[in-house]
Amino acid sequence: MGPLFPQELISEEINILIGFFIGIGFGFLLEAAGFTNTRKLAGVFYGYDFVVLKVFFSAAITAAIIIFFLNHFGIMDISLTFYPKTYWIPTLIGGLIMAFGFIIGGFCPGTSVCAAVTGKIDAMIFVGGALIGIFGYAFTYDSVWKELRGSGAMGKVNIAEWMGMSDGLFILLLTVIAAVAFFAVSIIQKKVVASTNYKL
Amino acid sequence: MSKTSIFYVVLLVIGAFGAFIIDTTQKEPFEKVQPCDLIDIISQTNKYVTTDELARKIMADDPTILLVDLRSKTEYDKYSLTGAINIPLESLADEKYKDVLDQNVRTIILYSNSSDLAVKAWTLTSRLSYKNVFILKGGLNRWVETILKPTEPKETALRTEFETYSFRKAASSYFGGGSTVGAPTIKKKASLPIKRKKKSAAGGGCD
Amino acid sequence: MEDKSKKFMNPYLAGILIGVFMVAAYYFSGEGLGASGALKSVVVASVDAVNHDYASNASFFKARVGGEHSPAKTWLVFEVLGVIAGAIISAAFAGRLKIEIGKSPKITNKKRLIYALIGGILFGIGSQLGRGCTSGMVMSGMGVLSLSGFIGLIAIFGGGYMIAYFFRKIWI
Repeated sequence: MGPLFPQELISEEINILIGFFIGIGFGFLLEAAGFTNTRKLAGVFYGYDFVVLKVFFSAAITAAIIIFFLNHFGIMDISLTFYPKTYWIPTLIGGLIMAFGFIIGGFCPGTSVCAAVTGKIDAMIFVGGALIGIFGYAFTYDSVWKELRGSGAMGKVNIAEWMGMSDGLFILLLTVIAAVAFFAVSIIQKKVVASTNYKL
Repeated sequence: MSKTSIFYVVLLVIGAFGAFIIDTTQKEPFEKVQPCDLIDIISQTNKYVTTDELARKIMADDPTILLVDLRSKTEYDKYSLTGAINIPLESLADEKYKDVLDQNVRTIILYSNSSDLAVKAWTLTSRLSYKNVFILKGGLNRWVETILKPTEPKETALRTEFETYSFRKAASSYFGGGSTVGAPTIKKKASLPIKRKKKSAAGGGCD
Repeated sequence: MEDKSKKFMNPYLAGILIGVFMVAAYYFSGEGLGASGALKSVVVASVDAVNHDYASNASFFKARVGGEHSPAKTWLVFEVLGVIAGAIISAAFAGRLKIEIGKSPKITNKKRLIYALIGGILFGIGSQLGRGCTSGMVMSGMGVLSLSGFIGLIAIFGGGYMIAYFFRKIWI
């Protein structure tokens, strides 16, 4: 059955409307989890607040588990969804650039949008910066980025397959590692907060 | 970690363990859109002709109808309705049949063994925006059941049912059905390829 | 925590629910949750509006303009409009809607805003080069077990940990 829109089982208008409602849920949860607070976000790198890690991994793992079941029981065909193709070189370099952006700017695009509309001036500046960045990228695309962006193409790669294990085993390992990490960071956080008397 | 947090993390681990176990079992194939779903969609608009209506039209020698047999040539040769032409489903969209089908003068009635093929063909013709196309409800199977071999209603049945029955009896002898001629053997469902829109993956995302 | 505002949601619960919404996005629309893609659409649409000829020729733009719809009428743009609405609703309920600058008390407002601008620019470039940001590529990519999501995860968070020490003065 699923995904519905790529198989033209729902109309474009409905699809866009659904996108809007899914966005509401996403934005609500990001705000409710505290992702509009730039210090909470940056805390993941300094040990005083791991909310990013917790939310991020539990979201990815939940989605991975449910999508696995849907695909396994023939309810949703993953191959028809937006499945990011792997270009390892630009993703690695782009990721490192984003790491600098994250540490210096204190947001990522999704959280900055939430923070900007809930009144955080620094987030509004960040969104402006991101637009400038995309703008600059677009105008220098042919001369600077084009070749780099297409390098390291590997097509659609499933990491479990790539590592030579089943999807289920990979999900289990990922979850177990995450669970251990969740437990570890809760201890680290307690210690760091106690030693620096950090106040949010 | 708070108790609530531990609860959610345990939930995730259980889910992941479930995925791990399930992954050792056979994967189910993906569901396709079922023809019956299509029927539901299409039956909202009145696109059907009943076997009784058709029998009346044929008996009255109605010149405005054009019967189209969607089954294969061999099946068509074995048995077909009076005056029907044979256009197998797969050649329905062919250029050579365009003049026959794409006109607004005669009423086109599509039929096959059941309604399935005709519904598919109707979908196709409506995509090609051919006008005045109808489906024989229940197809030849229903034709045999109701016209060629009508069953007598129970004594308690409504009067209209008896009227229908007597009409069908008359029709039956007109079309040479009943006990005199052995009804053609009709397979339940002819499986012909159906033209479907090519599936395409979503493009979008963040990139 | 903070003054009168309500407590934040349990992070694991928030994560699980975000995961459910992500599955919904995949199930209904075949899309992942994203943000930078919508920002890109805004840039493309505005460049197209200002100078259509340029947009139809430069290779970054031409694939994205000239369709039957405005380049801004995409799923991701509407999804982000929803994100905006959702964030405002949540903040309003929790009493967190107020104009302020989020920063460490040890740096000045001006510094914080300059850093936010630089960070935004870097994220803008990085997300285009890396084909998506933290939500669109990494989180959604991990959801479907795409290798690129995990490479992005290592690059963004691994890179972040490597350089965090040098920028600690901004935050602590």
